[in-house]
Amino acid sequence: MIAPIRPVWFLLACLLCTPSLADETCMSPYMAKIVGQEDFVYIWTLGVAGVGDGQDKLVTVDVNPASPDYGKVVASLSVGGRHEAHHSGLTDDRRYLWASGLDTSHIFVFDIHSDPAKPRLHKTIDDFVAVSGGVVGPHTSYALPGRMLLTGLSNNRDHGGRTALVEYTNDGSFVATHWMPTDDNLQGAVKSGSYADGYGYDARALPRRNVLISSSFTGWINYMMNMGQMMADAEAMKRFGNTVVVWDLHARQPKKILDVPGAPLEIRCAWGGRHDYCFTTTALTSKIWLIYEDADGEWQAKAVADIGDASKIPLPVDISIAADDSLLWVNTWNDGLTRLFDISNPHAPVQVMEQRIGEQVNMVSQSWDGKRVYYTSSLLANWDKTQPAGPDLQYFKLYDWDGKALKPKFAIDFFAAGLGAPHQMRFGAYGLYGLKRPESAGIAATR
Amino acid sequence: MRPRGSGLIGPVLALLIWAATILAASATAASHEHPPPLVLAPGYADLQFTPPAPGSYALPPLGDAADGAAIDSAGRATSLHTLSGDKIVLLSFIYTRCSDVNGCPLATFVMKGVQNRLLADPALTDQVRLLSFSFDPDYDTPAVLARYAEHFRAPDFDWRFLTTRSAEALAPTLDAYGQWVVRDVDEHGTYLGTVSHLLRVYLIDRERRIRNIYSTSFLHADTVANDIRTLLSAPREPS
Repeated sequence: MIAPIRPVWFLLACLLCTPSLADETCMSPYMAKIVGQEDFVYIWTLGVAGVGDGQDKLVTVDVNPASPDYGKVVASLSVGGRHEAHHSGLTDDRRYLWASGLDTSHIFVFDIHSDPAKPRLHKTIDDFVAVSGGVVGPHTSYALPGRMLLTGLSNNRDHGGRTALVEYTNDGSFVATHWMPTDDNLQGAVKSGSYADGYGYDARALPRRNVLISSSFTGWINYMMNMGQMMADAEAMKRFGNTVVVWDLHARQPKKILDVPGAPLEIRCAWGGRHDYCFTTTALTSKIWLIYEDADGEWQAKAVADIGDASKIPLPVDISIAADDSLLWVNTWNDGLTRLFDISNPHAPVQVMEQRIGEQVNMVSQSWDGKRVYYTSSLLANWDKTQPAGPDLQYFKLYDWDGKALKPKFAIDFFAAGLGAPHQMRFGAYGLYGLKRPESAGIAATR
Repeated sequence: MRPRGSGLIGPVLALLIWAATILAASATAASHEHPPPLVLAPGYADLQFTPPAPGSYALPPLGDAADGAAIDSAGRATSLHTLSGDKIVLLSFIYTRCSDVNGCPLATFVMKGVQNRLLADPALTDQVRLLSFSFDPDYDTPAVLARYAEHFRAPDFDWRFLTTRSAEALAPTLDAYGQWVVRDVDEHGTYLGTVSHLLRVYLIDRERRIRNIYSTSFLHADTVANDIRTLLSAPREPS
């Protein structure tokens, strides 16, 4: 039995967030949060030819054990065509979910508050490239007060990795483009090492330190290329990001470029009020990196742990930090493993367990209390595995974490269900909007 | 070396006393549901970083600041557009029964801090108007707001406390500013006298455009004052 979110509790524990509170899915530290049982997981899903309608779609799964629809798909909203569905993010008031396509650069804004069980498409932004001045591949949608910050992956001049951060208001109006610093134009930033590549991928903020951290991946040419072809192309393999940039959050100005070689991907910042650090992992060199503020107030980067055997290319992908900054889940896509690191000492993480999730595993999201851990499988349309076919290829899975092992609760085979390849997960709850779950029978049967 | 914060400051206690007084008078308060104390928001302490210098950064417009009907603490009808255009405006949506120290009390505390900074700089004092707009018109009558204002407003400073005649009159304004609120109810649907909301404070230029939005983690009198100086350092656009 799961306790509902009580309104007064929710006001005090969730909406008026302080920096010391943790997040259930590694989002903005000041965003409304679900501190109890989440009702839904919204899964931004890549359309696959021959699977269902073949379109990108937002899939809603009921994950509340108290619901008759527990473990079922209760809504599937196709957006028309395939856009290379990848990441998504919630606005600061958590009423809208922004989900973007890396190929077409379309951004789909879903209303998830009017009926949390059945999102509707509120708005489509189809002029991102034009209004941003040539940014391609909107990736992370990160909430700032009253606005959204989107990281780009590429540009429309050479479709390489040079790109920018792009800012919108919550209602979808373009605000500004902030280009990544490069050797050609450092924009006042300090180049602390060998690289100033101008690449982008993820972004996270530590408002109390006035810091925004961005990472770097690769451009459209590479992420839309067949993976085997790309890895055999020595020139293509040179076109990966090697930097993390520390920004002045308030001014939106780059301050320092740190060398983090090997494509640093997801960024997760610690929550503790004095924990002035973030983690990232490098896809190509298979390491955990710590991005931290030293005793002199200087931001630094250093590799602090290996993730498996780099020579076997485990390919670290998504990571998820625990609410108390003690643990970090690290997925390695190629071997389908999730690994748990003790990060009590952030300068010396120690792997404490690993468990196979499927043939491939990409995204990981955990509940506020860390007791529920969700996984999806898809990486990119042209990089995903296609064999062996079966329920462990493209899936959404829930596990209970008891402190020692992950215990499976349910799984949905996204190919068998005719949905596609599942990627980013975001949580929803009736209690966020002062709503109660309808007392009528299950939703799944009627939608 | 980076600066580190100090502890609680006297005015915070004044805010808490105000909230406690109000809640004690409210038969619908549900004190047993209060969670443990939270860590205070950054706005209550010294700024934890050296902010960018005024005028060294841009504050791109975030859209037009909407109009909205209001009544002031003297009971006079007015509107947001009547109270903007001639000065830079700092607008917060609050309600006086708000009991969370990191919510509306934070907004009022920071606005008082901004007031102090403006009073200390004669070149700025008359350039800015503070507006505290209640989203609890049932309780926050002009008389209640007048009493509330006495605790925070310096004599003759241009800080207005606004309410509306009804929830219906208020709704279009909240909607236009994206200020989402939900009245808290118990399991029987009884209003608890509290309102769930995401704290937002808006900086509005003299062209009635929103130039920054602050929430709990971002709201601090030093950065707001710097933003005001940044706006004032730019030449005013022709209307």
